[in-house]
Formats: sequence, structure tokens, C-alpha cells
Amino acid sequence: MTAATMSARGTPVTPGRSPLLRALARPELGSVIGAIAIAAFFTTQTDQFATWAGVANVLDVTAALGIMAVAVALLMIGGEFDLSAGVLTASTGLVTALLVDRLGVNIWEGIAWSLLFALAVGFLNGILVTRTRVPSFIVTLGTFFALQGLNVGVTKQLTETVQVGGVDEAQGYGVAQAVFASTWTVGEGEFRVAILWWIVVAVVATLLLVRTKFGNWIFASGGAPVSARSVGVPVGRTKILLFMATAAAAWLVGTISVVRLTSVQANVGLGEEFNYIIAAVIGGCLLTGGVGSAIGASIGALIYGMTQQGIVFAQWDNDWFPLFLGGMLLAAVLINTVVVRRRAEDSPG
Amino acid sequence: MRPDLHPMDDIHAALDDAGDQLPESDVAPHTPLLEVRGLGKRYGGVVALQGISATVNSGEVTCVLGDNGAGKSTLIKILSGVVSYDQGQYFVAGKRVKFSSPRQALDRGIATVFQDLAVVPLMSIWRNFFLGSEPTRGVWPFRRLDIEHAQDVTVAELARFGLDVQDPHQPVGTLSGGERQCVAIARAVYFGARVLILDEPTASLGVKQAGMVIRHVVQARERGLGVIFITHNPRHAYPVGDRFIMLNHGAMVANVTREDIDLNDLTQLMSGGADLDELAHEVQDHPG
Amino acid sequence: MAMTRRGWPAVVAVATLLVTGCTAGSRPATNDDAVLETLSVTESASATGSGDADPDRRLRFAIVTHGSTGDPFWDVVKTGAEDAGQANNAEIDYQSDPEPGSQAQLIASVTSRQVDGLIVSMADPDALRETIAAAVAAGIPVITINAGEDRSAEFGALTHIGQSEASAGEGAGDRLRDAGVTKLLCVIHEAGNVGQEQRCQGAARGLGVDGSAEPGDIMRTLRVNGSNLAETETTIATELQADPQIDGVLTLNAAVAVTAATAIGTSGSGAALATFELSDDVVQDIGEGDILFAVDQQQYLQGYLPVVFLALFARSGNVVGGGEGVPTGPRYITQENLDSVHIGTR
Repeated sequence: MTAATMSARGTPVTPGRSPLLRALARPELGSVIGAIAIAAFFTTQTDQFATWAGVANVLDVTAALGIMAVAVALLMIGGEFDLSAGVLTASTGLVTALLVDRLGVNIWEGIAWSLLFALAVGFLNGILVTRTRVPSFIVTLGTFFALQGLNVGVTKQLTETVQVGGVDEAQGYGVAQAVFASTWTVGEGEFRVAILWWIVVAVVATLLLVRTKFGNWIFASGGAPVSARSVGVPVGRTKILLFMATAAAAWLVGTISVVRLTSVQANVGLGEEFNYIIAAVIGGCLLTGGVGSAIGASIGALIYGMTQQGIVFAQWDNDWFPLFLGGMLLAAVLINTVVVRRRAEDSPG
Repeated sequence: MRPDLHPMDDIHAALDDAGDQLPESDVAPHTPLLEVRGLGKRYGGVVALQGISATVNSGEVTCVLGDNGAGKSTLIKILSGVVSYDQGQYFVAGKRVKFSSPRQALDRGIATVFQDLAVVPLMSIWRNFFLGSEPTRGVWPFRRLDIEHAQDVTVAELARFGLDVQDPHQPVGTLSGGERQCVAIARAVYFGARVLILDEPTASLGVKQAGMVIRHVVQARERGLGVIFITHNPRHAYPVGDRFIMLNHGAMVANVTREDIDLNDLTQLMSGGADLDELAHEVQDHPG
Repeated sequence: MAMTRRGWPAVVAVATLLVTGCTAGSRPATNDDAVLETLSVTESASATGSGDADPDRRLRFAIVTHGSTGDPFWDVVKTGAEDAGQANNAEIDYQSDPEPGSQAQLIASVTSRQVDGLIVSMADPDALRETIAAAVAAGIPVITINAGEDRSAEFGALTHIGQSEASAGEGAGDRLRDAGVTKLLCVIHEAGNVGQEQRCQGAARGLGVDGSAEPGDIMRTLRVNGSNLAETETTIATELQADPQIDGVLTLNAAVAVTAATAIGTSGSGAALATFELSDDVVQDIGEGDILFAVDQQQYLQGYLPVVFLALFARSGNVVGGGEGVPTGPRYITQENLDSVHIGTR
């Protein structure tokens, strides 16, 4: 049966779309425009922003946030939230530091146990969300408080203070420092190796999302979980893996932080989870799931880093930064909504 | 590609010798594709379904009719593996089965297109087409989607159902309701479904769109599939149905072939009331 | 019905009477009731504690602070209180919530349990005014610690124990000026914390003591996110790069101080660094000369002393402070006196 005959019988024929229209429907479009505008703005407003040192500082802040934002974006595309991700960055650092400081283990052993711990937390989040069907907002709020309590309680039990140091005296610290916290110099700027980690995470996540079967399942699990399940997508398993990936990202950020600062405080990381979500949303993620990209989340993190450091470079009172952040979040949500509407809701009937 | 799924060539082969012969060699020639005997399901103390017996043959459309709450959706859920039955027997190609997930049913060739849940609106047409059964190439960790192949197959398969898609990247959400059903049906057929369960595919559609879906049902039947067409609209069922099963309050009140009944009787049967018992007695004389 | 400062001598008089009654061996309970009824002017405040019959009775004190869970600073306060509780046969119930509304609720719930004394830190005094007044009205003696000194007496507290943030800041500014600092960066890690603002403003006064300079010319404040130390480090480095005239940095807690030391190194600024609060790392940095000095408010005392004071009040009716606050600091820790510092009580 040919198209012509179908048309004759009144069946709508789907039109091809121009490349321009396709680009306009990309979820990260708004964030790219925003990032360019912000970069241009601070470049003209300050002398230091567009220098090697300025870029190094911006990327330093961006990298840690970007790693988390990418993982959180995948999770949000899969239709879930993780409020425990911020405090987990502290927990993973604490596990490493406590093992190193209290038991004197090699730092790599500490880092490995810490990864196992993170994956277990992610698995727990995932199992609780998929089995009980309690919204992930509530489940991970529970894990958030539980981890917060564990961080302080266990640390106090073991050290009688709430900070653990001495990481730099551990066996194997030299290599760990090179892998997680070294810097390289370009011009006047000291660039941190975390930036490379961020790029690797963003690239891997992008490939995973658009080029693999699992990526397809992520979109489907968040976009229409019931439909996805009915065609055989293992929605529960997909979501559990996403929670575990988010926890693994928290482990990476926690490890980078503990190796860099050589100590951890039991109370850090609180509130950071919202920055991850903000970066993911600025990058085009929908709060309802099914839409978003890893590149977008990375650009969202870049917008956060540029604005936060740019305001300091511009010598403005940085009390105003949260206001900018809130404004950008609202703008992003509005743009995302319009883009998605253009993408899916102007259907012919 | 999953080994248990038939690529296009196999479908063509199956179509060539469609008729008596079923793909599985150990199945006797006249074994129905799908058969249920005395099927029942309780939710707690409530009987949702009981005593359902029916068969579905290759190249036949079996229409399941009934009002809301008649037990249609429970029957579909059992057949498609969403829930398990607790009474009676369920055979697929002569083998007794008890599914615990839709995946298991799919693997036995039973594909279900749920009403309004057929597709993921924000995903592209080709991603929807291959959702859950994505073709890949390369070796792990470099295993990746075979996007080009997937797009080509999507365009070709939809064309076989009369849907001309120029841009398989387009989100399914931009398609009409009938076109979405078409994508879901074409997908099920492509992936080797031998039984296609359509849950109220015409319910929310206008006349033109419903007509389009019914044509797809005919196309699927012509390709040798057994189709279970669930609807509450006898006008949609009658033109394509070979056999009609009527449900009421979880029980089967009629199981008739097309020769036994005309559209008026079918409509009257659906409307229930005083005629119902009389008709039920009348049709019991005709063994299904 | 907040009690004024002038009201206190009456309370003390009553308390002394009651204690005398007890030690004389007369029936204390009846005595209490009788005295209370005749002295309605004192609003029955603090009678619960001061009229106690049994000097060996285990006392129950509650501490409600605005510290966030796991903040090392508040941990030391808690340790101090627990140590004092052990020494004074008192049970310590420590609770905290940085959110003023939640802190007020904690105070209300403690009040309803009729503890023998309440110790409160007032980062946001107005938010706590009602619940503290209710505790006072319920006869629970209150001591304020750490923050809120200027409102303490107004709310009816026995005394305030802590460090005047403004004068501590001024002292720090003074010392930084002596070290040759001409433009200071003051790093605030908790937005909206009055005490932190006061420290920075005090430091500005200390720096520009001759009054010739505008505060804006000699000091900048920078807000950082205290729960993300890596980001804090970078933000401080950025600020130092953006304003090369900054030759001094003042941080307000120990963790931020350590990140500031790193930031000064990476930005190549060479600014002098001073901080409030102590930790192992700060002590080490002072020893190595990376940190000029630390302003120690000896918060161990802010936990220890109020428990002792409340126990004294409950058992003997004595009130320390004479209506003035009891300062626990500032004490300036430098390379010279570093040896006297015992971490754990800091």
C-alpha cells in the first residue's frame, strides 16, 4: 500500500521536519542560549572572568556539580528524584576517611568500600521506590535524614568529634591525589582533574542515553512507565540502576572532595541536592520525567558555576546569587514547558 | 536482536506458509494459538472473572464484548501476563502457561496493545517501535543501538500498515490516536506476535480514526495472527469479528461465531436487559 | 510577660528564703506552695528549681541551640554541658535546630516537660521570644548562651554566657591591622546569621580604628556555602583574584579557615589569614604559620558553665553574673600560646 493511496483515503501523512524545527525542540536549547548569554555578560563586565584563572575557577565549581547534575538528570529522565544525593557525598567521604583514619587501611581500599556503601544506598533507594511505590521524593527524604544522622552519629562514636582528617597520611594517597585531586596549569589557571571526570561522566551518560538500549529504557521508564512495562521494559530494574548510578556519582564527588580537602566534616553536603536538581532542570529536564539530556545538565551546572563565580569576579554582593539561581530555575521551567509542548502536544488530532 | 524475536524475514516466511502450520513444530496442526478453560480470578473475596472458556485461532479475530466492569480488563490482564489467574487453565499453542510478567507473555508471542498506553508520547517513533526489544550491534561495553537499522525497519513496517512516516525522529505524541495504535500494532506484528490483544483500540477515536484501526486489525488477521479485539462497541466488532465473546459481571454469557449472529442481535445482546437471558439460552444451543 | 532585670532581686530573695526553709527541715512542699501563693509578683518564676527539697536529686536541664546537626562547634558545647552534667548530678537533654521556628518548637516541648533549667542559644531572638517567655512563666530558669546577649535580660534569662561577637570581631580587626592588613575579606558562611554579621562589622571597626576610612574601602564581605567546602575554597580564591588589594582574610569557622588557607595559596594572594574557632587543622595551620591567629570563644564553657550555674541556682539559689553577661572569650590563639590548647574542649 503506497502513501498516495493512503492519502487518497484521508490518512494523515506525517510531514518531514526541518533541521531548524528539530533543533528548537532539543531539551537543552534554552540552557545553551542562557550559558552563552551569561558567559558574554561576565566577559564584558569583568576583567578576570575570561582569563585562564577565571575559567579554571568556574570549571572547578562546575565539575563537582556537573558530575552530580548529569547523574541526577538521568534519574529525573527516568521519572525519579534523589534528595539523599547531597548528603551521600559527605557519607562516602566519611566512609573513606574513617576507614583510613581509624583502621589505617590503604586509601584505595577505603575508596572501594565507600563505593560499595554508595551502591548499597542507591540500591536501597531504588528498591524502596519501586517496591513500595511511595514517591521517591518521600523515600529519599527519609534516606537523606537517615544518612545525615548516620554521618554525625557514627563519626562521633568513632572519633568523638564530627570531623575526620588524616586522609593525606594514608597509604596510596599520592596516587589517589593524582587521580582525584591533581591540577594542571594552563596560563595562569590551575585546572582540576575533576573537570576531566565531569567530561567523562557527561560523555558516557550521553552515549548511554541516546545510543543504548538502557538509555531507551530510561526515557520510557520516566515518560510512560505503564506503557514501557507493557512492552517488556524492566522499569523497576531501570530505576534501581539509576538510583545506583546517582549514588555512584555521589561517591565520585565525595571521593574527589575527601582526597582534595584531606578531611571531611560530618555535616557537609546538606542542601546540595537542590543544586543538582536545579542544574538538571536548567539543562532541560522535566520534573515529570521522560525529557532531558546529560549535555543539558552539564550546561546547567556550567551556568551555575559561571554565575556563582562571575558575581564574585564582578565584585557584586554575592548575597544575591540565590536570587539569580531561583530566577534562572523559573525561566528554565517555563522554557522547558514550552519546548515540550511544541514537541509533543501540537499533534494533528 | 533478541534470539526469541523474529526478524522481518521470518515473518515473511511465516506468512508464506500461513494457514494450518504453526511455527512450533511440536504443535498439532489444529491446536488453537491460545485457549482458556474455566479461567477465573478473585481479588480478595471479590470474583472478578469466572468460568471463561474460549479459543483463538490463527487468522481469526475474536471480539470480547461487554460493558464497563464486565471483566474485560481482568481477562486481558490475565492473557497478557499482567496478573495471574487462580482458576482454570490457560494454554498457548497447546502448552499450559501461567505468566508472571508481560515479558513472559511477549516471549510466547502474545502482544498486548493497551488503550492509551500503547506508546511513550515524548519518545520518537522509531524508539517507540523498538522499545523493550532494541536492536544492538557491537560487543559490550561498546554495544550500542543500531539506530539506522531501527529507523529503516520502522519506516518500512509502518508503510506496510499504510502509515507513511518521513521522519522517524518525530515524537509519537505528534501522531493521531489511530496512528499511535498503528505504531503499536505494527510493532507487535514485527516482533513475531502470534496473538495480538487490542484493548479498546477504538474507544477514544472518531469515526475516521476508528475505521483506520479496524483496517489494521484486518491487516493483522490477513497476516495470520490471532487477534483478540476488546471493545464495547458492536459496530466496531461486527465487521471484523469471526467469533464474539460476551462478558457480564465477570462471567461469559455468550460465545458465538459470526455465522450464528447478525449485527442487530449482537447490539441487542450488548444492550442487555430482558433479552439477555433469552438470547443466552438461545445461543447455548450452538456449541462454540 | 517577660521578666525585667529589676525583677530578679525579688526572685533571688524568694529563692533564698525557700532554700533556707528547706535546710531548716520544715515541710518543703507546703512551704513552696505557701510562699508562691503570696509572691504572685514573681510570677512563680524559677521556684521549681530553687525550692528543691533534696540536694541529691538528679536535675534535668535542657539545651536547645541553633546549631545544625554535626556542626563541630556545637558538638564541643554539647560535650561541655555533658561534662558539667556529670560533675553536678544533672541529666542533659541536648537538642538543636538551625531553623528558628523549629528551635522555638523544641523549646516549647522542653517547657512542657517541666525541666529544671533551660539553656538556649538565640541566633534569632525575636523568633524565640514567646516560647522563652512561656518557659520563664512556667517557672523554668533560663540561661542564654552564645548568641542573643543584648536581648537575654529582656527575655527574663538569669544571665547570658558567651562572647560578644562585635567586640571579638573588633579585637580581631585590631590585631589584623597591627599585622599590616589594610583591606580585609570577611567570609560569611551562614546567610542571615546576625552573629556573623556582627563579627565582620566589628572587624571593620577594629581595622579602621582611626575612622579615616570608609568601611567599604577597608573590608569586603563574601558569602559562601558552608556545606560545600570545595566550592567555598574556589569562591574565596576567585574573590582574591578579583580584588588583588585584599591583604587579609577573616573566616568565621574552622572548616572555612582551612579552605581559605588553601585558596590563599592557589590564588597566589599572600593575604594574612585569621579565623574564629579552632580545630585540629586550624591549630596545625597556626603552628605552620598559615593562620595568624584564631579567635577562640571557648564554647566548651558555653556548655559547661550554664549547667553549673543552673545547678547552683537549683540547689542553692545563687545567680552568677550580677545581671551582666559572662564572657567566655575572646581568647586569641597564636603560635605563642598554642600549647595551652586542648582540642576536644574546643
